Amino acid sequence: MNFDLSGEARLDESTLIRHAASGDAAAWEPLVLAHQEAVFRLAYLILGDPDDAADVAQEAFLRAWNHIKRFDTTRPLRPWLLSIVTNLARNRFRSAGRYLATLTRAFRNDSAPVNIEEKSAQHLEARELWKAVQSLSVPDQQIVYLRYFLDLSVNETAQVLQVAEGTVKSRLSRALERLRGIIREEFPVLSEGHDA
Amino acid sequence: MNELEQELFEKRLISIAKGLDYPRTPDIAGSVTTRLRPVTRPRFISRKLAWSLTILLILFSSLMLIPPARAAIIEFIQIGIVRIFRGTPTPPSPPNEGLPSTMIPLTATPGPTSQPLIPILESLAGEMTLEEAEQTVDFPIRLPSYPPDLGQPDRIFVQDAGGDMAILVWIDHQQPERVLMSLHFLPQGSWAIDKVEPTLIKETEVNGQRAIWTVGPYPLRLYNGDIEFTRLIKGHVLIWQEGDITYRLETDLSLEEAVKIAESLQPIEP
Repeated sequence: MNFDLSGEARLDESTLIRHAASGDAAAWEPLVLAHQEAVFRLAYLILGDPDDAADVAQEAFLRAWNHIKRFDTTRPLRPWLLSIVTNLARNRFRSAGRYLATLTRAFRNDSAPVNIEEKSAQHLEARELWKAVQSLSVPDQQIVYLRYFLDLSVNETAQVLQVAEGTVKSRLSRALERLRGIIREEFPVLSEGHDA
Repeated sequence: MNELEQELFEKRLISIAKGLDYPRTPDIAGSVTTRLRPVTRPRFISRKLAWSLTILLILFSSLMLIPPARAAIIEFIQIGIVRIFRGTPTPPSPPNEGLPSTMIPLTATPGPTSQPLIPILESLAGEMTLEEAEQTVDFPIRLPSYPPDLGQPDRIFVQDAGGDMAILVWIDHQQPERVLMSLHFLPQGSWAIDKVEPTLIKETEVNGQRAIWTVGPYPLRLYNGDIEFTRLIKGHVLIWQEGDITYRLETDLSLEEAVKIAESLQPIEP
């Protein structure tokens, strides 16, 4: 069976999930298409390498497929997928292979010429912010990525992290305090016009 | 930071973060779909295939080689990847006739008088924890919730048989040398399995779906491409299919009990 998430023949997500849960792989493809960008981007933010991110994103969708029968179809799929990718990316980050890959990449990046002119000021500012966030603890990074980089609501962020909304708010508040301090001390360019 | 400052800071973060130049999202859907599609295996014997074959020879119960069944085949029943042939009746010979006493056929779930299976399990490759098995195979592993005191399997094996095949084994704790029950998960693309003329074939249902109950002894033919082996199976086997998985439950229990076990399969609690 072919499924299409676009146009008038659009099937709602829960119908596709039900088909997928009955073993229909064709129903899984449009769901992957619909969510692959968010899943890949979160993996990329956590890991910092597109190849690693692609591997983890693919693994996350396969893992989700294997456990789709346990999924409550009344819930949105995206928070669950992002929750899986968060765990997978974190585990990969901890692995020795990942450590070596990071060293290799760092060497590669250092030796590569950087053409600053090609980067718009906006892109550079965003890169600086990303670097600043990477100075935070892993849990702080995760919540900042979900809420501000992927622009998830507090409710969605709570679903991904499997905590209460109030917990998300308090954790965000503390993470923002720490991030603000890092920006003030190490990334003053990001403070301009804000921290007067 | 007061509430207003935090709100302004959050807005600024979202605004800046939108400018991040992410790499182009790769074709993850294509890769995932490819990996979900059953793989067509070449017909030559690779090292991997040979290894799988070795494992299967042990797995299918250290059964003894018997002459190939040559009965004229007129019809068969198929459940998932398991095909049960009904051929022109051939005079059944006593199961152990002509075999040395040290070569008594065994099933993965031998009867009380059979040889202990534990040494065979010890020689099986691919043993892992249940958690590792869940992460290895591309299908959900489900466990029986009946009988209520069954508990988790004692031994878990995952082996490459053209697709990752999972085998769960429960040991009889009253007689630790004896296997109580084994449950096989056979995904599409695994080795094709023929059962040729079991002593008894009975159609039944598992969760309203057609299932087959066979009672040995009978020859079991395994094949993949040009390779074919025939073994003798002794025991009761319930076979049914759900989704892309063919389930094979070996047990000494009755048909009614086997169906209850089959219908009690539940996803593993996280």
